[in-house]
Amino acid sequence: MQDNKEQVKDSPNAVVDHFFRHEYGKVVSYLTKKFGTSYIEQIEDAVQEALYKAMNNWAFNPVPDNPSGWIVRVANNYLIDTLRRDKKIQPKDEETLYMNMESSEDNPANVVLDDELQDGQLKMMFACCHPTLSPDSQIMLTLKLLAGFSNKEVAKSLLKKEEAVAKALTRAKQKMKEEVGSIDVPASGELKDRLESVLKVIYLLFNEGYSATTGEQVIKKDICFEAIRLCKMLAENKYFNAPSVNALMALMCFHASRFDAREDENGDIITLENQDRTIWNQQLIQLGFYYLTKASDNEDEVSDYHIQAGIAYNHCIAPTFEQTNWENILNLYNLQVATNLSPVIALNRLVALSKVKGAKQALTELQNLEDHKYLQEYHLLYAIKAELLVEVGDITNAKQAFEKAKSLTSNLKEVIHINKRLQSLKR
Amino acid sequence: MSNFLYLFRGGDARRIHQSPEEMQEHMQKWGAWMGGLKEQDILVDGLPLNNEGKVVEKAGAVISDGPFAEGAEVVGGYLIVKANDLNHAVEISKGCPIFEHEGNVEVREIMPIM
Repeated sequence: MQDNKEQVKDSPNAVVDHFFRHEYGKVVSYLTKKFGTSYIEQIEDAVQEALYKAMNNWAFNPVPDNPSGWIVRVANNYLIDTLRRDKKIQPKDEETLYMNMESSEDNPANVVLDDELQDGQLKMMFACCHPTLSPDSQIMLTLKLLAGFSNKEVAKSLLKKEEAVAKALTRAKQKMKEEVGSIDVPASGELKDRLESVLKVIYLLFNEGYSATTGEQVIKKDICFEAIRLCKMLAENKYFNAPSVNALMALMCFHASRFDAREDENGDIITLENQDRTIWNQQLIQLGFYYLTKASDNEDEVSDYHIQAGIAYNHCIAPTFEQTNWENILNLYNLQVATNLSPVIALNRLVALSKVKGAKQALTELQNLEDHKYLQEYHLLYAIKAELLVEVGDITNAKQAFEKAKSLTSNLKEVIHINKRLQSLKR
Repeated sequence: MSNFLYLFRGGDARRIHQSPEEMQEHMQKWGAWMGGLKEQDILVDGLPLNNEGKVVEKAGAVISDGPFAEGAEVVGGYLIVKANDLNHAVEISKGCPIFEHEGNVEVREIMPIM
């Protein structure tokens, strides 16, 4: 978005980036907390309407001192009007539910505190990630109701068709009404499990944005930062500030620090080995380190996110690719493989193994993975195999493995990358 | 120099189903455009209009909801700008972000007080 920070305070251009999008999530959450999930559609309409009003108004008039409060009140009152028209509320309740647009300062009941907005969003997170909802629904609801994405933007970012997303969201909201009802913070007894499913959605969101798939890069970066924003909200709350939350924050910060270094000017992939490390975002690395330290406060709890953050951290602090502490990384992978049965992790471990013990041993261990049913059609297995074969000097088989990898990916960027690698082998 | 009235018709974002992100971008384009007019010191006045309204006819004998049933016809706001002549005023209006939403601008010279 074009940005002109020198604009005067009350011009619409002084509104911070993504303000509308975040406001959507905040106010939808707040009103859902107040009125329950049964009115979710009406609530979304009301917030959308309030944002239209803001858009039309603030282009002409000065932006109010508290733009967020303005939107809450307009949306709230629009919702009351809708509910009254549909006879969902009693006339006697109307008055108490209306928010006065004029005298919010004098009337404390009219002021919606930031804490309350925060609280609504946290509750909404748990509602969107409710265990009765499918993982797909959880992700879509989070993007729609908390991150303020439109159906079209959800579709774009998840590489789905817009109509399919619209249908899925309608179903998901229906299910939410039936299963979740009013939104609330889970009781302490089930907190751990519920928090885990929230973290999983955040993690999946981040990966969705971070994976080098084709399509709209801008929106992909946006989802990553949404994932970070949501996780940060958990980390800043005493009740939810678990070690795993901090570890996930650290992990995402470390990965996000490499955003600008991962692509060349054509948008083609630059692998870790060839990235310009001077443009890694040091601020994000520092932030990641801060969260990693916090994540280690309680040494008893080591989540998968801890290990992944540790691996990412080791990459972030290496001055050059050659100086990477591969032994540390391999140890972390060994730890991870022991607790996590994912074959993809076992595969990634082989890269570290080849750096410590040599490509030959990595190739031997790779044979055990080749028959794994999840990896047989996985292009990265063949890409890694090809690189290992190059290292041991077996160019003929390396080429074959690259070709196989190419045939298994539909991602144009990866195809381009593999073609470049094949080109370099010809010479 | 004369004053010219811009009447903004249509371009109602509701019909286009903009996302919050797109709304903000659109609003900021308006802000930038009007900021430019202010900077050139040719912006005299301007306000948005609420959608709801009434049309009063026959001294109140007929009052209808309005202004219009057709969304495309609704005047959403107005501006008054200073320009050399009608052509100049038309030229200035071309930068208006309303065209992104398929709205239009009616440009009229305001009659000077004699």
